[in-house]
Amino acid sequence: MKKAIYNSRWYVLAALVLILGIVPLMGDQYLLFFCMLFFLYLALAQMWNLLAGYSGLISLGQQSFVGMGGYVVAVMSNYYGVYIWLGVLLGGVFSALLGLFMSLFIFRMKGVYFAIGTWIFSEALLIWFSNWEYTKYGMGLFIKPNPNISMTEIYYASLIVGVGSVALVYGILRSKLGLGLMAMRDDEAVSETMGVEVFRSKLYCFLIGAFVTGSTAGILYIFQVFIQPYKAFAIDWTVKLVFIVIIGGIGTLEGPIVGAFVFVLLSQTLAEYFSVSMLILGAIAILVILIAPKGIMGTLQEKLGFEILSPRRK
Amino acid sequence: MEDFAQPIVNGILLGGLYAIIAIGMSTMFGIVKLVNLAHGDLMILGSFLSLSLGTWMGIGPLWTLLLVVPIMYFVGFFVQGFLLNRVLGKEMEPPLLVAFGVSIILQNLLLMIYTPDARSLMTDLAVKTIPITSYLNIPVIYLLDALIGVAVITILYLLFQRTYLGRAIRAASDDEVAARLMGVNTRNIYAKAMGIAMMSAGVAGVLVGMTFTFYPHTGPQYLIIAFGVVVIGGLGSMKGTLAGGLILALSQLLGAQIFGPGYQLFCGYVVLLIVLAVRPQGIFGTV
Repeated sequence: MKKAIYNSRWYVLAALVLILGIVPLMGDQYLLFFCMLFFLYLALAQMWNLLAGYSGLISLGQQSFVGMGGYVVAVMSNYYGVYIWLGVLLGGVFSALLGLFMSLFIFRMKGVYFAIGTWIFSEALLIWFSNWEYTKYGMGLFIKPNPNISMTEIYYASLIVGVGSVALVYGILRSKLGLGLMAMRDDEAVSETMGVEVFRSKLYCFLIGAFVTGSTAGILYIFQVFIQPYKAFAIDWTVKLVFIVIIGGIGTLEGPIVGAFVFVLLSQTLAEYFSVSMLILGAIAILVILIAPKGIMGTLQEKLGFEILSPRRK
Repeated sequence: MEDFAQPIVNGILLGGLYAIIAIGMSTMFGIVKLVNLAHGDLMILGSFLSLSLGTWMGIGPLWTLLLVVPIMYFVGFFVQGFLLNRVLGKEMEPPLLVAFGVSIILQNLLLMIYTPDARSLMTDLAVKTIPITSYLNIPVIYLLDALIGVAVITILYLLFQRTYLGRAIRAASDDEVAARLMGVNTRNIYAKAMGIAMMSAGVAGVLVGMTFTFYPHTGPQYLIIAFGVVVIGGLGSMKGTLAGGLILALSQLLGAQIFGPGYQLFCGYVVLLIVLAVRPQGIFGTV
């Protein structure tokens, strides 16, 4: 029975994606909006999960890539009239380049130093962008997409990054790189002795994370229309991602999916009371770490011994 | 040279303030290997406590220290005793994330109670200056910050060196198991250490409130300053903390003088990143 369910999981997943694919045809604006936010946060959170859950890199500076992706899209389409989806891709590329530059400094740091190092970088970028004439200082930019695009297009773009991010992390974990990552997570010194290239594996993950985060942020900002340094480079982004991954289950593929759903549901329900919603998010995150440190999916997997997307080879 | 005299003097005095902001975090970093990501917000909590107590009782900010400092001790004791102690020791991430949660809760709680408006602790010291030459003045409030900062760090140093509590804290930090075998209740000791760290943060909060304006969201900014001081100065070193404060404050103020005020914080961050990349253990730290 269990095996039958397990074997049919691909069909179930495909059906789910298909259903999500026809959401724009249903004509329900709220549902469309909800699913879109879900996919975007899923992609961002899955990348943080790849770093924190699998590569041992606690990054508190994902907002560097969020801001970079958003600003590249804004600058490209406003100043140079670049085709909007090309701009989104360029946002990812620039974020990866930024990640490469950051790595010169922060990859010499370990653990906590790394965490704060990434954060300091974001703060420095925030100040840089708010003092930069090219990006209109702190006043921000209105993004004028070229050509004008509909909600449906934005929805499909977010569907692609959302589902794509899960598939990407799944693919990475099933690859040689992923095997090395998991060995590293369990014991860095031993895995290095066994020939895992620790530094390079971590760097690859960091750059992949930067690329996906940057492009996702580009889509997010096309939807939000307005970008401003104090919001784009704010630590709030990482707060949300940490929350999503912790609630769902850090180091599991399904965790960010569940977490992103809970997060979007909570933040939409409490949208009118911004500070209350953040307060509740913080309290829930603490409770989860104290009571069920593995999050919803991690705890379920432990209890039921059932993984939908297992990175392990059977 | 005349242009640089004022930023240098201010930078040296501000260094004392930065050192007292950082000392609590440095202590906890050294003892429990814990990075208290809520340090900045707890410090700002001290500023807001002083604000409320000051208006309620009609006393000046410095007098509120008499109440703020003990309250902050209990806040620290509870945060460590009831939250952080439970997740210590397993891995590095859980304490980091719990502290992060505390930081978010505090920020938004302060936001709900006090609204996002800028606040400051009113005192007539804020505008007084001591003229030295025609182009150089010493702001009294900065001088006060530096003096209190050095005094608090000296008191903490004596506390750690001379008292039983201090020795127990250092023992628990050196070897937790051995300290427990010697009859030290390490968990309780950690909570007390956090209480002491938060007392210093309370003093720092009041000083910051008197010197600058503050908002519910300024906590992270001071967390980064504290972290910068700890990183530049090296861990667990009192002298290093003072030196770290000086270096960070000087690089910020000199940066502002050279590149314009918009880049004040930016220059501090750049110096910090360079130090981190070149000497991750800090200038005064040993590996």
